This record gives sequence, C-alpha cells and structure tokens, in this order.
Amino acid sequence: MDDPIRTREFLERLERGDKIEATDWMPSEYRDLLIKQIHMHGISEIMGAYPEKEWVPKAPTIRRKLALNAKVQDEIGHGQMLLRLAEDLSRPYGRGREALMDDVIAGRVKFHNVFHMAAPTWADAGVIGFLVDGGAIITQAMLLDSSYAPYARMLKRIVAEESFHMQHGESVVLALAEGTEAQRSMLQEAINRWWEPMMFFFGPREMGRGSQRMMEYKIRTLTNEELRQKFINRYVPRVRALGLTLPDPKLKQDPATGLWEYTDPDWDWFNRMVRDNSGPMSQARIALRRFAHEEQRWVREAVRRASDELARLPGA
Amino acid sequence: MTSSEYPVYEVFGQKDRLSFHTHVGSIRAPNPEMALQMAREAFFRREAVVDIWVVPQDAIYSAARDPAYLPAIGDDKKYRLPSGYDNAPHWKRFKAKAMTIEEVAEEMTAKRR
Ligand SMILES: [Fe+2]
Ligand SMILES: [Fe+2]
Repeated sequence: MDDPIRTREFLERLERGDKIEATDWMPSEYRDLLIKQIHMHGISEIMGAYPEKEWVPKAPTIRRKLALNAKVQDEIGHGQMLLRLAEDLSRPYGRGREALMDDVIAGRVKFHNVFHMAAPTWADAGVIGFLVDGGAIITQAMLLDSSYAPYARMLKRIVAEESFHMQHGESVVLALAEGTEAQRSMLQEAINRWWEPMMFFFGPREMGRGSQRMMEYKIRTLTNEELRQKFINRYVPRVRALGLTLPDPKLKQDPATGLWEYTDPDWDWFNRMVRDNSGPMSQARIALRRFAHEEQRWVREAVRRASDELARLPGA
Repeated sequence: MTSSEYPVYEVFGQKDRLSFHTHVGSIRAPNPEMALQMAREAFFRREAVVDIWVVPQDAIYSAARDPAYLPAIGDDKKYRLPSGYDNAPHWKRFKAKAMTIEEVAEEMTAKRR
C-alpha cells in the first residue's frame, strides 16, 4: 500500500500542473497505468510498421518506396523510444527490453486493433497513413499534455515525425483520388475496409476503469469519445471532399451540438481480436516478431559477449 | 600519487520540464556532487533551470571522431520531410484545405473550458 501522505502530495503536484519524472516518487497505481499505456503504445508502433513494410517492395515508384521505407523506419524508432520509457518505469519490477518484447509473443501485451488487419492493396498503404496515422496523431497530440514528463517530451519528437506521415499518407491518397476510375475504386474500397476499425481504435464509448484513472492522473486529458468525435469531425469532410463515401449510413452531425452520430463498430469482434490475437493478420505478424526476437536472440547474446570480452582486454 | 588535476564533466541544463537537456559546456570538478555545484555556479547564474546533468567527459563516445558514424549528408531527404509534399493544391482541386499537424496539436492541447 502506498503511503497516503505521499500520495496526497503527489495528487497536489498533479493538481498544480506539475510534471512527473521517472525518478520522482509516484503511487504504484500511477506507475502501473503508465507502464500499461506506454508498453502498449510502443509495441503498437512496432507492430504498426508491419502492414506498411509489406508494401515497401511493391511501392509503385522509387520515391514512394523511399518514403514508405522512411516511415517504417520512423515507426520502429518510435517503438524504441517508447519502450525505453516503459523500461525505466518497469525497473522496480526488474523487467527490461527482453521481457517487454517477450510479452508480445506470449500475448501478454495488446496492440492496436488496426495492426491486426490486412493491407491488401496499395491504397491500403495510403489509407493507413491517412486515417490510421491521422487517428494516432489525434491521440498523441493529446498526450503532449501528459503529466508524465518523459512521455510528453518524447511525444514532441514523435509528433514532429508524424507530420511527415500525415503528408505522405495524404499524398498517396490524393494521387489515387486524382487517378483513374480503377484507382479511385481501389481507394474507396480501402476506406471501406479501414473506417470501422478506426471507429474501434479510440476505444469504448464508456471508458474502462483504467482509462478513467488515467484521466484523473492527467496521463491523458480527453475521453475516448472526445477523441473519436474529433477524428470524425476532421476526416469525414475530407473523405467526402474527395468525392468518396464512408461505409456508415448513420454518419450525421447534429447541427446544434456539433457531435456526430455513427454506427458502433463490432465491439465484441474487435475486442476478441485484440485480446486473443485472432485478427486476419495477428498471428502472421507476431510470427515475424518472434523470428526477430527469439530466433535472433543468439546474435544479441554473441555481440554482448564479444563486447564484454573486448572491454576486458588489457589496454581497452 | 594522487593527481590534483580534476576530471572534466560535460554540463547539460533543462530549461523546463517538457524540454530536453541541452549541452551548455564543461567544467572541472573532483566528483559528481561538486561538478553539479560548479556547473550551477558556472552556467546557471541567471538562467532558470529545472535540472542539471553532469556527465564525465570520458563517458561520452562522440561520432565526430569518425565520420562513418555520422548520418550521410548531401542526400535528397525531402521525401522524409512534411515539406517534401505539396498537398495543398491537390486538396484545393477537391475544394478542401490541406491540414497541418500543428493545427491538430493546437486543437488537442487547447485548454478545456
Ligand atoms: Fe509512430
Ligand atoms: Fe506514424
């Protein structure tokens, strides 16, 4: 049990708008919520690189290939930066990079529903940049205000890089929208595939206890529904401007409140998919991670041992 | 025999909680605690900082000692930058406006009323 006096002082710090550092005292609930959030965020960045990675060799031009490759590199980099934060927080539990990565393979950490889905066409690669990065940017921009200073600082860097992802995704989408009928219908089909997963992406209308506690601790500042509304409000007009449609007949904005009505995604199906890794691509992508993490472990160990030996040499 | 020459510490200051630590210079000191005190007196007599780091100079492994460790320069990296994409005229063709991440960030961090 945490010391009630220290906990009260901690909450007063948050109330004053103070930012918390990794080395500051924090209630164990705050630490655990941060670990859960940042671990999931970091792993999602890494798993999120896979659907687009599949399109790097098949990109239509050398410039698109360079750009997509650069984006994939960025996402893996975001994963690294965020895992470092989760590792610092996990220190009292004696868990480092290897353990946090083992969790993916053992199914102990979830990653975003969108990265369990297939990306069957080039338009999907564009729509991922457009809608998935677009949604992630909305969430990450909110986290710039997070009470946990290392997270907020790292997000400044990440959001700056996401700016390129946003422009790149829109550029691919615009090129297809200005293209032939076949290109436009490929784009429309990709939007049809990604819209429902994006409605799920922001989480349930009624937030779970953990998310509510994260708001109280000012780790995050907006509710799931507020984030989803901001996303719909930005992206529905953009998709419609392209002369395309959204696969939801219920989409309608209330002129008085500005709030959007929408069809609920299949919550049960997506929840099961994220929990059991039972989505169309979940197992194939986890297998890639397993290959990188487990089957290459001997390489990491060998390099580590060689470095230790070299350091022991006289004159080193 | 103990040398009276103090080791060198590189000094980093953090302006506010949401900034990164920035290198400001170096000082000599006999130990890390005194290095912090000396750094405070040498570099932060006027500027307010929320944190100071001192790092033993020989703990720093610099890329500049071998250019092979530096990122390649001269390449065209515009495809990696938001400015490498001019989407605005294309959005305009569809009677819509280009969007920037700055405006999203502003909306998401606007203080709630
Ligand atoms: Fe990212
Ligand atoms: Fe991204």
